[in-house]
Amino acid sequence: MTEVLAENGKPRAVKAAADDLVEVRMTVNGTPAVLSLPARVTLADALRDHLGLTGTHVGCEHGVCGMCTVLVDGEAARACLLFAVQLDGADIVTVEGLGRPDDLHPLQEAFGRNHALQCGFCTPGFLMSSYDLLSNQPEVTEEELPAELSGVICRCTGYRNILTAVRETKSAHPGGIPAPGNCAHRALVGRATGQAGVSTDGREVTEETGDTRRIDIVLPDGDPTIAVDVGTEIGVPVDAVWRVFDDVSLLARCLPGAELTEDLGEDQYAGRARVSVGPIKLAFKGVAHVVEHDRAGQRLRVLAQGQDTGGAQTQADIVLRTEATATGTVMRAEAKVYLTGRIAQFGRALAGDVSRRMFEQFADALRETATSGQAPTGPVAAPSALKLLFAPLFDRIRTALRRKSR
Amino acid sequence: MKAAPFAYVRPSSLSDAIAELASTGGGGKVIAGGQSLVPVLAMRLARPETLVDINAVAELDRFGTADGYLEIGATVRQRRVERDPVSATVPLLGMALPWVGHRELRSRGTVCGSLAHADPAAELPAVACCLNAELTVTGTGGARRVPAREFFSGAMTTALGPEDILTAVRFPVAGKGEGFGFAEIARRHGDFALAGVVARVRVRGTETDAQLTGFGVSDRPVTRSAAGELAAALRESGGEVSRLPGALSDPLTALAEELVDTDGDAHASRDYRRRLFRTLASRELSKAYERARRSAGEVDS
Repeated sequence: MTEVLAENGKPRAVKAAADDLVEVRMTVNGTPAVLSLPARVTLADALRDHLGLTGTHVGCEHGVCGMCTVLVDGEAARACLLFAVQLDGADIVTVEGLGRPDDLHPLQEAFGRNHALQCGFCTPGFLMSSYDLLSNQPEVTEEELPAELSGVICRCTGYRNILTAVRETKSAHPGGIPAPGNCAHRALVGRATGQAGVSTDGREVTEETGDTRRIDIVLPDGDPTIAVDVGTEIGVPVDAVWRVFDDVSLLARCLPGAELTEDLGEDQYAGRARVSVGPIKLAFKGVAHVVEHDRAGQRLRVLAQGQDTGGAQTQADIVLRTEATATGTVMRAEAKVYLTGRIAQFGRALAGDVSRRMFEQFADALRETATSGQAPTGPVAAPSALKLLFAPLFDRIRTALRRKSR
Repeated sequence: MKAAPFAYVRPSSLSDAIAELASTGGGGKVIAGGQSLVPVLAMRLARPETLVDINAVAELDRFGTADGYLEIGATVRQRRVERDPVSATVPLLGMALPWVGHRELRSRGTVCGSLAHADPAAELPAVACCLNAELTVTGTGGARRVPAREFFSGAMTTALGPEDILTAVRFPVAGKGEGFGFAEIARRHGDFALAGVVARVRVRGTETDAQLTGFGVSDRPVTRSAAGELAAALRESGGEVSRLPGALSDPLTALAEELVDTDGDAHASRDYRRRLFRTLASRELSKAYERARRSAGEVDS
């Protein structure tokens, strides 16, 4: 494979045999991505199978139905009619980049309000096509809308409502519609095919330190999927708590579902984590990096990154702080958790509840370990659905009992 | 619906692209926008051994006017042509491009790609034929210019050899006294036309020239002079504009029979296509004549 960097924004020269992988670099929803693909893989398949972005739907796969419409360099195009390798240097925006669950793009908001979607299969296509229309042809008239939006097919007969949603968005934004609101550097993950894409802009590279498993964990820009900020009173002295913090293997055993598998050196650790909520079972493999261990300042900061075989990725920035009180220690955990892939399809509320519950279990295990000076027997069990369901109830009963006993 | 494996070459110069294509010994296919080719690959109607991607060749990106022509390079997207003010020099492009597929296809599809693909029902080959645009074909032996009316030789068949690349097309810039018309009937917007017409009329003093191209009605775009028919209709209507389309209907009946030689299909019979063609041609020829007279300054605009 020969490679020559071409000038003036043109793609690089490439020569690849039929069974070769071709490297393609593109920006997807604001995140630089490098993929190695057979030349015949379409952009639609690259987005879905290699980057885990399944918002781009695939229908007819020959350019008729419009389900796979995405933005390529700001203009709508059919992702099934483009080979991904042709898009070296291109800027791609998919429906995932258009808005955030808690801050929808005006088009998404209007589609929702007008019932412009029923089964939702064509919705990503319609959203990207109408975004292109309103951003590049703001002069479009109401009469032209049906013909201009005819590139995407809806089979729930929702055209009237779709046209209304687009018309309303247009008139609500006479100065032009807002740019996509969810494009930032973040993790992109692949599926279980073992052909995962790498999200990189050169910042996230494997260190050349002999142990290639050690990585620089680079957290995504933008808001985390879940922000946890919990404080717990632990009835043990600060010193006892820090004895656990000082011993990473001990600390890891307090984390629900977590298991430390290897010390990679330089404060990096390989590990596994299992999360189980009802029928949902995720097994993450990843790396944790203790970036700050400040006993005097009573601050411990850990960056973690894990990937599930099914195409879910999580990254976390966890800060644990302690403060001595008259009766023991207040431990405060602040965590920013970034989820990508299928796990992100969890409702945010549910994912947040699960995370908070895990931190509470962690605090309980920590108290136990700090008191006994010994690790809990075996790793703390992964949070189970039953526990998660009943834990708030138990909490309430406990609180009630405590009040009674006073 | 996935393309069969193919070798992929993306050269950065035209000479490399031609050499790569030649080295495939006929098993190669050029890809630019791919909007016509990829569906054919996805359905495995074509299984080229090698795709030669010409998008990295900077010199194929030329787009602008020179020597009375609007030149469009092989990698220039249809949507760029549609939106660029310079395209007003060839009014037929602005009239025809909105009918080429959908926005989402024109953002990647190229003008030259549509010509090279040569679907008999496609709009751009018809425009090229009506204006008798010049196509630049480059192969191992160098570049040559082929007039559009000699380029298309059948359904999806052109003067391009297996080692040739259509590197550019140039359309004559519209002059004073020229008027144009374009119309097509398709079952849905973006579909290929059941029948379509492109008309070009030139008025110079007492001389009136008219060219009529039909598409979707034969195995290639078909072009005839309609000057005689237009002259007859002008006599018949006494020069009254509103009566011109009606007066053209009769003279164009024979022309429609001659040009529309496609067999009918599930969507439209041959006779229906002839009627469609005659009706569209009457209207568009009338409009083109009016526009030509206006452009020549014979009537107040």
